[in-house]
Amino acid sequence: MWTQLDSGFGYWNVFVWLLFFVALSCFAVWIRSLGRTDYKRNTDQDEIYWSGNEVPDDGAEISVPASSSYWGFRVAMEPLYALLNRFHSGSASDYAGYFIVTTALAGLLILLGGE
Amino acid sequence: MNLSDHLPAFLVMIPLLGAFLTPLAASFGKTVRSVFFVLFMSLILLTGISICASTFGGNILVYVMGAENFSLTLPSGMSYPVRILFEIDAAGALMILCVAIAAFAGALFSVAYMDRFSGWKRFMALYFLLSAGALGMCATGDLFNFFVFVEVSSIASFGLVAFWRDKPEAIEAGFKYMLVSQIAAMLLLIAIGTLYGKYNAVNMGALSSMMRYGTLERIVLAILISVLAFKCGAFPIHTWMPDAYAETPSGVTCLLVTVSQASFYGLIRVCFSLFPGIAGGGMVAWILIVLGCMSMFFGVLMAVVQHEIKRLMGYHSISQVGYMLLAMGVGLLALGNGEKMAEYGLTAMKGGLFHVMNYSFYKALLFLCAGALYYATGTRDLDKMGGLARNMPWTAGMFVIAASAISGLPPFNGFMSKWMIYESSFAVHPILPAVAMITSVLTLASFAKVFQAAFLGPAKADFVAVREVPAFMLAGMAVLTVMTLLLTLFPGWFTGNLFEKAAEALLNQRGYIDAVLGGM
Repeated sequence: MWTQLDSGFGYWNVFVWLLFFVALSCFAVWIRSLGRTDYKRNTDQDEIYWSGNEVPDDGAEISVPASSSYWGFRVAMEPLYALLNRFHSGSASDYAGYFIVTTALAGLLILLGGE
Repeated sequence: MNLSDHLPAFLVMIPLLGAFLTPLAASFGKTVRSVFFVLFMSLILLTGISICASTFGGNILVYVMGAENFSLTLPSGMSYPVRILFEIDAAGALMILCVAIAAFAGALFSVAYMDRFSGWKRFMALYFLLSAGALGMCATGDLFNFFVFVEVSSIASFGLVAFWRDKPEAIEAGFKYMLVSQIAAMLLLIAIGTLYGKYNAVNMGALSSMMRYGTLERIVLAILISVLAFKCGAFPIHTWMPDAYAETPSGVTCLLVTVSQASFYGLIRVCFSLFPGIAGGGMVAWILIVLGCMSMFFGVLMAVVQHEIKRLMGYHSISQVGYMLLAMGVGLLALGNGEKMAEYGLTAMKGGLFHVMNYSFYKALLFLCAGALYYATGTRDLDKMGGLARNMPWTAGMFVIAASAISGLPPFNGFMSKWMIYESSFAVHPILPAVAMITSVLTLASFAKVFQAAFLGPAKADFVAVREVPAFMLAGMAVLTVMTLLLTLFPGWFTGNLFEKAAEALLNQRGYIDAVLGGM
């Protein structure tokens, strides 16, 4: 079958999943249809709710910048990131060195490793 | 004369001709230049599709240049081929298809994207040369020719990475890539020269038939693995990749993704066809598995914290290459053992090749989306973007498809190839799919951040006037979106007709040798 993938351990059929998504979408549309439609447009009723404060004109003032995302993850992994940043030094000499060391290490392992 | 007999020659001839004719075509103005560019890339795509159609029946296309007859692999009185020889089986054809489609999409995108900038002649000529190099790497059956094509693609890519000469970052990225790449190229030449010195041949089929697995061959294999792993961006020799991908014009980054895959193809061809006796079942397989796991994990770890969009995607490229290295390492581990190959090896190889094609399309698409954002906003910094989905709905939609696919969300194609890799690597050790799954979760987190930062949220005052990118750019992105969706909807067809055939071709060392030596 064109839409079914057999891995040897199990199978995957795309259209079963697509049917599931269609059913889920219908359910979501049904939930949405239960909402009230009698609100007054272009009044405070269709304003964005921002914790009761006035929404600034420029979105930049209320955006979370990408560099602040996953702040906790970054802080928790700080020692590892410090190591990785040192590794990515930006120095071409370092990069050439990594290449030579990797080649030597691969050679050593293949020579000692046997078949 | 039957033109279809000469398809392998056309594959390299068309882009080389395009490169030489570029100054002439570019002198006739914008329209002629654009038509010429897209027309030549279409011809390359047609040639690639025709080659695929010819090889997936199990054929191996062999083409000899410079002989009295293009099918004369062995000149009279000689035991081994001496001329420029192309040998394309299903695995090579799969890679050619990936390169040809990405090159076509990148060219369509670049027609509008590069219109703002000067240097069109240089750009087009280098783009054609880069395509020729990558296609040649996938088509050749000769190690020295492989080196030549690696160099053709490298030299073109140095120029394209440093294309914006007024940007110090681009010059620096180009210089670093050139420096380390040339050290790798010299080592590659030494390795090939060593084999030539010992066996008096550089043809892969001929070498494979004569290969004895001694100390010298092991050193040569280590050099080849290291050089090709460097070119495809494996950790810890990946450091050129984020810089180079970030600074290159986006249409070119789209093609560079598949150029790195051509190196990956070189790596697996060397392991499966040239050195199966050393590479199969032992240390080499584990080297690839370890490189794969490190690439996956450290690549995505670095990507999560980036806020420069193309640099972030560059680190994701390293992570994605890790999946392929893991899959092929697992395949190599089962090589030579029929039971293990049937149990998990073949599934790993099919999953790995499936991932190669997926990666070629969704990653290329992501780079084009990043290019579209840069084109519209003038920045690559995610901190400065926001709320762009309203003004750029097509770009946002295609980004969602590509991001979902690379994150391995069902039902997209990325999920299916990863699923095959998880299942097969689990049979080797449970820690391997665990690393792969953690990587996939971090990939999703990373792309959720990109989507939120660039497309969602309130509109920013600086980008109120931003509009959707021109039609040619959308067309380039649409080509890759359609390919991603086709792979999503018809995984059974693609696996049965492409990936399984390609995996079997890699395992058929005897067939690869016999196609050149005629069953000697």
